[in-house]
Amino acid sequence: MNLSDLLPLLRFLAPEILLSALALGALLGEAALSRLLGVEKRQNLLGWLALLGLGACLVILGDQAARGETLALGRGAFVASPFNALLKTAATLAVMASVTMGLRAPFVRHVGENYALVLFSLLGMFFLLSAESLLMIFVALELTSLPLYALAASQKGARRSIEGGLKYLLFGGLSAAFLLFGISYVYGMSGQGSLAGLRDWLVAQRTAGGPGFLFLTGVCLMIVGLGFKIAAAPFHLWAPDAYEGAPLPAAAILASASKLAGIVVAARLLLGAFLPVAGNVLGSPLSWHAGWSPAVAALAVASLTVGNLAALAQRNAKRFMAYSSVAHAGNVLVAFLALDASGRPAALAAPAIAYYAVIYALTNAGVFAAIHALAWGARGDDFADFRGAARRAPFPAFFLLIFLLSLAGVPPMAGFFGKLFLFMAALQADATHWGLAWLVAYALAMNVVALGYYLRFARVLWVEPAEDLRPISTPLELRVALVALALLVLGLGVFPSSCLAAFRTMGGVLLLRG
Amino acid sequence: MEPPGLNHWLVVSAMLFCIGAAGVVLRRNLLVVLMSLEIMLNAANLALVAFSRYGNGLDGQIFVFFVITVAAAEVAVGLAILVALYRLCGTVRVSDIATLKL
Repeated sequence: MNLSDLLPLLRFLAPEILLSALALGALLGEAALSRLLGVEKRQNLLGWLALLGLGACLVILGDQAARGETLALGRGAFVASPFNALLKTAATLAVMASVTMGLRAPFVRHVGENYALVLFSLLGMFFLLSAESLLMIFVALELTSLPLYALAASQKGARRSIEGGLKYLLFGGLSAAFLLFGISYVYGMSGQGSLAGLRDWLVAQRTAGGPGFLFLTGVCLMIVGLGFKIAAAPFHLWAPDAYEGAPLPAAAILASASKLAGIVVAARLLLGAFLPVAGNVLGSPLSWHAGWSPAVAALAVASLTVGNLAALAQRNAKRFMAYSSVAHAGNVLVAFLALDASGRPAALAAPAIAYYAVIYALTNAGVFAAIHALAWGARGDDFADFRGAARRAPFPAFFLLIFLLSLAGVPPMAGFFGKLFLFMAALQADATHWGLAWLVAYALAMNVVALGYYLRFARVLWVEPAEDLRPISTPLELRVALVALALLVLGLGVFPSSCLAAFRTMGGVLLLRG
Repeated sequence: MEPPGLNHWLVVSAMLFCIGAAGVVLRRNLLVVLMSLEIMLNAANLALVAFSRYGNGLDGQIFVFFVITVAAAEVAVGLAILVALYRLCGTVRVSDIATLKL
């Protein structure tokens, strides 16, 4: 390989290279400036530099998406495609919102390290969104998670932050161990490291007596690990504590970009590599076929139930958002089951999952940014602290309402179309027999419950009387972030079918190439 | 006596995984819980190396190098959080960190 071969590589890897340089730059900047500038100035300066760099990343990613070229390195170790660039754009936008939230509210003394952790975590998500091999998925998942553990625990003076971070670390470590042990069986029995190789091997095994017991055990262990990652019940126990304890900018990443990456990698594994051993859950339980589908169906039903019912009982805004994210994991898992009797996924399934994951990440980033703006003048982040906040800060309260309505799935917002496509995909899968109608009906019923609790939060903000009437001022950059996220959420909602068509035509979408 | 084969290694690795999982769930000292997590990761390492040795080429052994590195990083973060916890609360026991409910 000579130098001219390396140049295209550089073009495809530019976002990752830029991000690594930014993260190291943040570390160096902190070391160089810690004697010269105070915490708040450093927070501001380094934060704006990080935003600038992330903006440059967006430009490069936009260019990659527009060029429409695909590069696959080392048996799926790194795949740069327009579609992946789009997913990375969404993750970058969510992280930019988080950085904007932290600009004027120093919650840690080591601000450079804080930004470096955020950027390294985003780097992990970039690799995760590009990974189509077992090794890269594991390493990228850990690169995403390890900085997030530290970020969740970064408020070292607050007991709930440390405890939340510790719980997140322990559950995250457990999930990594399950995932890795599953990977070891899957790799060991098949001898394949790439997702495409795994799928082909499984197809070949259909005529050669099946993949064997150990392989299926490995798949189940991997589902447990992925369930932890996307906070699907019953593996969600870390989420409420980690969300509540983490500083709001860190919680925003947990709830948005990290979730997006988790959903995408779960879809790549289950609907991509392990599709031949899917089984199905059509019709009554007696007619189900063994595979990962029944297990995922159990996760979906448990998440829908636990997430929605527990969210009803919450008194803290961040814990409430944690249970809401469990419920949304349940929603998205419904589309994973959109397979017909012969095991082919519905045409809509993969684009619907991607659309939903993107919408969900952007909306959740918006919710946390708005909560952050409102929490400025509040004592804490319990619902009681936000009573009548709309009168004190109408601007962020208005945008919080928009994002909450989108999460609830009220028609003009993107969230509505996200849910619609998920459930349509499930119904399409076995359209003649309505095989998944039971699951969709249950999900719809649970989403009615969800409407109730999102509106209750909105009511706290808009209807209940405020005890303290002093206005809360919202910094300009936070206003800009809120407007930008709201425009994205509304825009993706106004043109849902064109987004979906774009996702579908971008080749392969979540399913692997060749 | 015949030499140990793939199945022997897999049994040992499954036992290690279960011991680690039991440690995470049952032990009360957070340091021991972290150690149990490491045992679980190493159970996977053993399985990977065994599969690699008995016929799957070198991929599995390369995988293990990455896992060892990642596990070291994970322990570093875990211990850092434990130190922060100890400074704040003077404890590293699971039962003492139940401020946050389930």
